[in-house]
Amino acid sequence: MQSDHTAYKRIKDISRDEFILPGTTVCAGCGGLEALRLAHKVLGNNVVFVNAAGCFTLLALFPYSPFKGSWLYTNMASAPAGAQGIRDALDILIEKKRLRPEEDLKVIVLAGDGSTYDMALSATSGAIYRNLDFYYFCYDNEAYGNTGMQMSSASPLGAKTTTSIPDEQSPMGTKFHKKDIFEIWRAHKPPYIATISPRHPVDLSEKFRRSMQFKGPKLFIALSPCPTGWLYDPSHSAKIARLAVETGIWALKEAVFGETIHTYIPSKLKPVEEYLSVQGRFSHLFVPVRQDETIKKIQDEINYYWNHTEIQK
Amino acid sequence: MIRIRFHGRGGHGMKTAGRIAGTAAFLEGYYAQDFPVYGAERRGAPITAYTRISKDRILERGIFSEPDIVIIADESLINDPAANPLQGVTKKTITIINTMVNDIKDKFSILGIVNTIDATGLCLEIIGKGSAVSAALGGAACRIIGIIQKDNLINAVIKELKNINLPEELIEKNVEVAEKCYEILSPIIIQHGEDIPDSPIETITLPYQYPTMSSPSVFSSGNIIEKKTGGWRIFKPVINLEKCNKCWICFVYCPEGVISLDESEYPHIDYDHCKGCLICYEECPVKVITVEREIETW
Repeated sequence: MQSDHTAYKRIKDISRDEFILPGTTVCAGCGGLEALRLAHKVLGNNVVFVNAAGCFTLLALFPYSPFKGSWLYTNMASAPAGAQGIRDALDILIEKKRLRPEEDLKVIVLAGDGSTYDMALSATSGAIYRNLDFYYFCYDNEAYGNTGMQMSSASPLGAKTTTSIPDEQSPMGTKFHKKDIFEIWRAHKPPYIATISPRHPVDLSEKFRRSMQFKGPKLFIALSPCPTGWLYDPSHSAKIARLAVETGIWALKEAVFGETIHTYIPSKLKPVEEYLSVQGRFSHLFVPVRQDETIKKIQDEINYYWNHTEIQK
Repeated sequence: MIRIRFHGRGGHGMKTAGRIAGTAAFLEGYYAQDFPVYGAERRGAPITAYTRISKDRILERGIFSEPDIVIIADESLINDPAANPLQGVTKKTITIINTMVNDIKDKFSILGIVNTIDATGLCLEIIGKGSAVSAALGGAACRIIGIIQKDNLINAVIKELKNINLPEELIEKNVEVAEKCYEILSPIIIQHGEDIPDSPIETITLPYQYPTMSSPSVFSSGNIIEKKTGGWRIFKPVINLEKCNKCWICFVYCPEGVISLDESEYPHIDYDHCKGCLICYEECPVKVITVEREIETW
């Protein structure tokens, strides 16, 4: 199943076709929508989305749909199971010659971090184990955004969420570490997993293009800057996505059958403070009292990652 | 009893505006009840908040469809069937609209008394940001009903904004905004609507429906384009095409995909749908995108 797209080398290689139409009720400046829009340009029109409950539920708001293709809604825990059902149905239809192979659809799970990191993890693990041929697009805004920014297991250390409000007992906010979903998936050794950022559209497009040659589970984790929950002005979405990569907090990488390659290595890491200080969800680390210890802890974690991971380019 | 209904979009702070009105009335010695109603939480999606104020205990519960006062934080909601802010508006209703348009009463043929206030402009001027207009419209509501003293309004604003963890200096500015709105408007005597007569309960018979009725399906693809989200903007980006170097950055980074390229690669913005996030303005490498305050009614 070789892709018919050419390699993406520069921004003008990106397709001018739009597959998600405007008019949706997602927040202005949504980083997740930006990543999905770019991804869809590569995946093309023959897709069916299996959408776990989350922010993107409201992309398709009855009786309206922004998609040119198909969309199915599931609850938070069972999008990979829904994908299995659709994939099986498509395979049977093709085998019985009731669907021509060129009419086949790519099955894409669309899920937020709450579903990906928490609720649907067991269903996902099962789907990877069964080598289900599907794409998994996770828009990771590091909290349960749709219900009002409650802490998820993707919320990073030190972030303020509505269920980890900094107080005297834990002034740092979230005191847990973000789950490493990339490594959890990698342990299953699926054909393709990648992290992506909306501020690196060429890297993002190229990763989707490369993944299309593989049959089996394919994961994309898009860091999705969220103006509403991360508390910054919507116009800064792209800037914050860039800082996440430049400070090294969001490593752009891919793993083919478990072999990790970093697709972009910042020549010199910026201090993580630059990323933290522009978001309201970390403001308690700076005012009224600067929490140097927590900031250092976050920085140390990043340094540890870049010093102790085998970075291959 | 006074029934006030607030309409806004997620992010406007209409829930807080309702709470400010309720708390101010409570501090004034009245009974008060306030609550918001919204579906999935989303910045930009329509929300409604309700406040009841009474000298006597309030036994009434739930939403109401016949308000004495309607406060609309975003004029683009007026024609939105999902928000329907003019529902139950009669000749006796007082409607306050946050807008810069003067002839809005005629434009939308709104019954009753219509007052306009440029709350967004006030917030931009005093706070520096125009997105949340909770203190402004909470203050407007308190003034219109004419039973609330200014100091109780101020205390209510401080109390409610402290509750949502706003920093001290931002609360001070919001107090200033609320005071300004209080001073601009003047009280209006509320003429209560007629009591609704009890009607006999009718039995409803449901006809047979196909089972597919219970699972909503959309068979038309991409029809969301019918929904105009241009009304979400406070500022609109404008591209100076003469100086544009056709780098594609605005086109690629627009999350909504409202920027399209013409045959000679020049970008064009679809203002019907641009939500005004201004990522294009921030990211334009040659800085040929400028912003303008949005004043047109949507």
